[in-house]
Amino acid sequence: MGCGRVGARLASLLDEDGHEVTVLDNDTYSFRRLPSSFGGTALFGNGINEEALKKAGIEEADVFVALTQGDNRNVMSCQIAKHIFNVPRVMCRIYDPLREEMYSALGLETISPTKVFAQLLREKLEG
Amino acid sequence: MYIIIVGGGRLGYNLLKALLNEGHEVLLLEKDARICRTIIEEMGSVCYRGDGCEAAILDEVGTGRADMMVAVTGDDEDNLVACQVAKHKHNVPRTIARIRNPQNAALFKKLGIDVTVSTTDLILETIEREVPTHPLTQLMALDEKGLVIVDVKISPESATVGKTVKDLSLPKESKLALVIPNQGNAHVPAANTVLRAGDQIIAVTSPESKEALQIALRGV
Amino acid sequence: MEFKRILVPVVGTEADEEAMKLACRLAKRDKGKVWAVSIVAIKRTLPLDAEIDSEIQNAEDVLDRMERIAEEEDYEAETDVLQAREVGPAIIDEAVERGVDLILMGIKYKRRFGQFNLGNVVPYVLKNAPCPVILYQQ
Repeated sequence: MGCGRVGARLASLLDEDGHEVTVLDNDTYSFRRLPSSFGGTALFGNGINEEALKKAGIEEADVFVALTQGDNRNVMSCQIAKHIFNVPRVMCRIYDPLREEMYSALGLETISPTKVFAQLLREKLEG
Repeated sequence: MYIIIVGGGRLGYNLLKALLNEGHEVLLLEKDARICRTIIEEMGSVCYRGDGCEAAILDEVGTGRADMMVAVTGDDEDNLVACQVAKHKHNVPRTIARIRNPQNAALFKKLGIDVTVSTTDLILETIEREVPTHPLTQLMALDEKGLVIVDVKISPESATVGKTVKDLSLPKESKLALVIPNQGNAHVPAANTVLRAGDQIIAVTSPESKEALQIALRGV
Repeated sequence: MEFKRILVPVVGTEADEEAMKLACRLAKRDKGKVWAVSIVAIKRTLPLDAEIDSEIQNAEDVLDRMERIAEEEDYEAETDVLQAREVGPAIIDEAVERGVDLILMGIKYKRRFGQFNLGNVVPYVLKNAPCPVILYQQ
């Protein structure tokens, strides 16, 4: 969910690896970021809407990744995926480190790019 | 009570005003500086600029001692997160979220939000209540107990007219509470109470057996 | 100009002491009254009626000093500690309630983010005051 730079890149990498990939975005213009070689499905829809998620095939999905710009949208869609559709693996991008910690404590698999990137820069600079 | 409202739209603004009038300590959180200024100018220091989903902001405004959090922004996801942060990070005993999409009610409940309010559902309920031919109207939901209070009207065509209460095969979660006849006083139904056309029956039931109760009471 | 009822909000700076002196001199001339108030701002994490002993003590110490300054000026001032969520509105409320005809405040030259900055309280008072305001900057 979310076909930004990261979403599009991840989708095409997983597609290259031979997985079946569906990308969901509520702006069809975002799909320009997908390479022409992309063999998966690009679907217009709102990822916090159960109907849209069903249409994207969430009921059969093994993995759900939320990568929109909105932390709250990501959190909500991941919780739908996990608690309503029982997707086995759910990953959530949360920019805000505090929110990320909380949802990680609540059992979501989360990544805070803010935290990771700051840490990475520090290691580069100090190492 | 100390109540925190998230979102200074029309709903949040009016809620703030009403709760202040009732004498509660209320604080409204709003991201938009202009809205904050307007509210502060009108009502004093009862508005704080900040994102109600951010744990740091919630810390600052003393969410830890809040009795209730009401999230009424226009976005379901923001209301969800604000309530979850309040609940899990600050142990707020009661959280209420406004939802735009009625479908989200089940999800929010599952995720621990105490009460959800959907404008769509509210308007629907009102419409149902206003339509007199509707045989069963939900008056109130007791969310914690998983029960609803309903109002069933016995029409002249109902197959149960003339039958006694003990002859009805009510679903087992259902209980008749009150009979309000067309004329005369309301009374608590007994086993030998006879149903008459025009009776209005107030009953408690589970949401799932609403339909079954209606059939039991009206015979159709 | 005649000032018969003067409000001096104080936090205890040197500028406040000078403002207090000035207020006494102005009031003396017109046989007016001077109130020095110190406002304890209560954070949202606490209820408004919380008693933070250290802050109240501090406010009382400041007011004691103000009283002594008034005595040195051979004048008498009334003092009060107020609790509020925010200082600016508390000053305005007090000014309205006491029906003062002057607010006299001492301010310090402050920088914030490298720029001259008046803070929140002074602009709020200037904007909302029901009476003339004199600022004394040291």
